[in-house]
Amino acid sequence: MRAILNRLNSDRGFSPVAISLWIVVLAGLAIFPKFVESPYALHIMILLFLSTIMGESWNILGGYTGQYSVGHAAYFGVGAYTTMMLMQYKQIPPWIGMWVGVAVVVVVALVIGSICFRLRGPYFVLASIAVAEVMRLCAMNLKELTNGAEGILATEIPPFTIGGTVVTDFLSKVPFYYIGLGFAVVTILVTWLVQHSKLGYYFQAIREDQDAAHSLGINLSFHKNVALVLSAIFTSLAGSFYAIYIGFIDPPTVLALDISVQIVLICIIGGIGTIYGPVVGSLVLVPLSEALRSNLIAQAIFKAGLANEESGVGVFLKENLAHAHALIYGILVVVVIMFMPDGVLGFFRKLFAARNRGNA
Amino acid sequence: MIVFLQSLISGVLIGGVYALIGIGLTIIFGVMRVINFAHGEILMLGMYLTWNLFTRLGIDPYVSVLICIPVMFVFGGLLQKLFINRMLGALPQNQILLTIGLGLIMSNTMMLIYTSDYQILTTSYSSSSFSLGGISISEPLAISFLITAAITAVLYWFLMKTDTGQAIRATAQDREAAQLMGINVQWMSILAFGMGSALAATAGALISPTYYIFPQVGGTFTLKAFVITVLGGMGSIVGATLGGIIIGVAESMSAVYISSGWKDVVVYVLFLLVLLFKPSGLMGKSRM
Repeated sequence: MRAILNRLNSDRGFSPVAISLWIVVLAGLAIFPKFVESPYALHIMILLFLSTIMGESWNILGGYTGQYSVGHAAYFGVGAYTTMMLMQYKQIPPWIGMWVGVAVVVVVALVIGSICFRLRGPYFVLASIAVAEVMRLCAMNLKELTNGAEGILATEIPPFTIGGTVVTDFLSKVPFYYIGLGFAVVTILVTWLVQHSKLGYYFQAIREDQDAAHSLGINLSFHKNVALVLSAIFTSLAGSFYAIYIGFIDPPTVLALDISVQIVLICIIGGIGTIYGPVVGSLVLVPLSEALRSNLIAQAIFKAGLANEESGVGVFLKENLAHAHALIYGILVVVVIMFMPDGVLGFFRKLFAARNRGNA
Repeated sequence: MIVFLQSLISGVLIGGVYALIGIGLTIIFGVMRVINFAHGEILMLGMYLTWNLFTRLGIDPYVSVLICIPVMFVFGGLLQKLFINRMLGALPQNQILLTIGLGLIMSNTMMLIYTSDYQILTTSYSSSSFSLGGISISEPLAISFLITAAITAVLYWFLMKTDTGQAIRATAQDREAAQLMGINVQWMSILAFGMGSALAATAGALISPTYYIFPQVGGTFTLKAFVITVLGGMGSIVGATLGGIIIGVAESMSAVYISSGWKDVVVYVLFLLVLLFKPSGLMGKSRM
């Protein structure tokens, strides 16, 4: 018994506390839609899952392998476009389309990897952006394939059937909720594996010092490509999920630089290279941007009496705050990078460490 | 043949303005080893400043360069003092993200003020052109090119001949050695960022009569500025001039011979090829 407990407490195992917490949280999330029927609450939860998937998958490459790709919109866009095009033009249902997307993204990632991984530091960042921009411009220009700037609108999502029985019809948000939750849990588990497996140790060795890792016999380009492929697969799944959930895609919403920056941001805010960093980042970013978008913040300012709804400032806030989420993202990046470079998680970890030292 | 010459010349003319953007970025990179991802956004601020001066006060866009340069010089200096300076020792990734964040703040602040509508600055000469040996040349592009050439010449003189210019170059060569020689490295960094910003904003002012003005316009130029500097070799001013002209010509040629929708793709592919086969650029030393 003691041996098992020790095993659980060791670095490679879950501690009993962690396991119980996981079970409680998962059970809570699993029964959540049974009690909360508000579509808006479900919508926020779905966005949280989506953002977690995107952040965790970037984290595998950026956080654990140290390759700061600012071009992840490319993989997100490939997933979204493949699924949507197959569904709209060929009537192939999305749960098949998304795996086709995964197959396509693996090829795309290997091509991008073979170009970009020869470069390091800022040059790698630049190349990753350039490649994603090329993809965006291709989606804009290849009109007969992607419908160009007009984008693709999903007319209807075929129900998910197994052997003729309808499993789910995608008419409500509930199926999306469970699919999102499932993918989010899987990406967190994969990140956990990356942190604790031999492959993941190679990744982290490359992050810490690529030349030293190379001299120890780690095949740099092979392992970077493995990290990229893993990362791209989950980003692509997130893209497919987004496309079907929103029902409309165009180059600015799935392939723009903003998407890449947003993906990185989820990790920076939470804490790069940590398992729960992207979850924390999502918990900060998603409610914030939704509150701005739905004008909750403007309403709160009026309620607090900070501004009069009828005054010039009030009208300005009401009309414009909804578009301000990108501004807030910018401010967050600057503040986090300057004052808490290890993200919110790292900041609190340091805070607790300082307090513990104070008590001792 | 006429079409070829025409696109070559308009490529060289627009390339001159691109060179200005690239020189600004390369000076910043040279002195601080920081890649400024808000460069295009600073250019965008220059465009809006010019547009405001034109629509509110009736100041000609080319004259407004005289206002843009000092205003944006101070703006850039402040950015360096308040933000960039504190990040000089940080990871390059974090510097990039910081400048991306600053760029987001700039473009979205402008969007809150001016909405995302396209603004057009129409002067009496915006669409006029003159003919030179059967080749028609856009008048605003030609004026921009002349101003660019003059500014570049002054800049070379400043960097090569004046004491401050030499101090800036010394800082770019070796920050620590320069400091040991009694050069105020802090001040040189502020100067460099100010100059870089002023150059980007000037480029913005110069192209404002021929471009749509909107808050998100900066992104394309940031990327273009990198393509130019990487092509020329990061930190090399001659390289940036050359890179600007090459990109200008590549763009205008591909717009004529392929299609205008694909011209940016041609530029990025060119960029990736340079990164792959000559990562040090045309004039730079390898820093890989």
